[in-house]
Amino acid sequence: MANRPANVRFTKTHEWVRLEGTTAVVGLTDFAVEHLGELVFVDLPAKGKKVTKGETLAEVESVKAVGEVYAPLTGEVLEVNAGLANDQTPLAKDPFAAGWLAKIKVTAGTKVDDLMDLTAYQKHLDAGGN
Amino acid sequence: MRKTPLHAAHVEAKARLVDFHGWEMPVQYQGILEEVKQVRAHAGLFDLCHMGRLVITGPDREALVEHVFSSNLGKMKLGKAKYGFLLNAQGFPNDDVIVYRGADVVHIVINAGNRDRDDAWVREQCATRRYRATVANVSDEQAMIAIQGRDSEATVQPLCSADLSQLGYYAFTEAKVLGLPMLIARTGYTGEDGFELFPAKDDGRRVWDALLGSGKPFGVCPIGLGARDALRLEAGMPLYGNEIELDINPLEAGLDFGLDLTKDDTIGIPALRAAKAKGLSRKLVSFVAHSGRVPRHGYELFDGATRLGTIASGAASPTVGKNIGTGFVPPSHTAVGTKFEMDVRGSRQPVEVVQGPFYKRAR
Repeated sequence: MANRPANVRFTKTHEWVRLEGTTAVVGLTDFAVEHLGELVFVDLPAKGKKVTKGETLAEVESVKAVGEVYAPLTGEVLEVNAGLANDQTPLAKDPFAAGWLAKIKVTAGTKVDDLMDLTAYQKHLDAGGN
Repeated sequence: MRKTPLHAAHVEAKARLVDFHGWEMPVQYQGILEEVKQVRAHAGLFDLCHMGRLVITGPDREALVEHVFSSNLGKMKLGKAKYGFLLNAQGFPNDDVIVYRGADVVHIVINAGNRDRDDAWVREQCATRRYRATVANVSDEQAMIAIQGRDSEATVQPLCSADLSQLGYYAFTEAKVLGLPMLIARTGYTGEDGFELFPAKDDGRRVWDALLGSGKPFGVCPIGLGARDALRLEAGMPLYGNEIELDINPLEAGLDFGLDLTKDDTIGIPALRAAKAKGLSRKLVSFVAHSGRVPRHGYELFDGATRLGTIASGAASPTVGKNIGTGFVPPSHTAVGTKFEMDVRGSRQPVEVVQGPFYKRAR
């Protein structure tokens, strides 16, 4: 199991988000990556795309299935981890750092208090993660 | 969920278990791609206990099977197995099956998801025709284990009383494995050499563990349903529910080798003769995707704005090194080299028709 950082927030659908001022770094948790199995493709959004909280941000495809990544916040895509399109290893091995998916510019004052902290996310996983 | 006699072995091996037609089955152990490679390079073990087995006996057993089985039992040598269908009167398959012709018995191996329907269907035909035959469903009394891959013979032989080098492709025999009596057949669903063993249910685990032990020098390990699906797709073998269904006839799926269209007294064959004479509106093709996206069952196929049909099966193929699939398209789009597109959740990805199968072992 990857070491889950304490400075990020989690969604029920297994995205993580780290808010740095008005930039939100978004990724998938180790639980989601492990659940998908062997990764074969990552479809990332275009830079500048406007995304709405809860809508599809990216698709992560494994041998078995296609996993949707939902935007945990509303904003505009600033940057994506483009290398993942060719090599999914960073996402598989290091989902909380090198395997980040996208950076989203959010409006000042955006809060993540409604998302789970590490303790709450662990409880969510202990209950099955659904 | 139902559990096979090998369920505990899968839990101990830390397999990822899923619901497969009501059975809790291993979808993968160490990983689908690795497991495919192991079977192609050496050999692997498969739990097939969930599959159905019918045993037909009695003086009219062969007449009954000839009536319900799309291929020609009478032309099979004793001790041989053959692929075919249990067709309904309209020529659509209730199931695809393997029939084994013994001297005084016929065995039929049927799909897990169709166990109850097939059993009822064969009994009904037997009763309607008043055949003097007995249909026994031994699915819950028997285990079924496959070993597939080039090192299968070397793995099984030290445990087996029969000389396996004398057992031909699609042949079967009664033999002893670990001193336990069972049917053993040189059949499989991966495109590799290999065997399917039918021990008594309570002997299943012993045979499983012994095969893992004997196969250790070849890295023989258990293989899940995920790799099994990729292996059979690479080898061009159909899966019921994908390439074959109650609304897809076997001619459309290109499975003519499982049919004897000259038979007169077999359910569904007259309907297929008529369908063939009329001409087919769609055919199954094999294709590779020129895309990182994996083709998947149910995705739609397009030529520009024209919808061609749907994808039957798809996989990331470690053997071919590409994403591969099968799909039903009009006859106009079946030539090798024809290019069209698959719709992956709203995005169009290019695919190209290739000659199947994707993989053929050197013999």
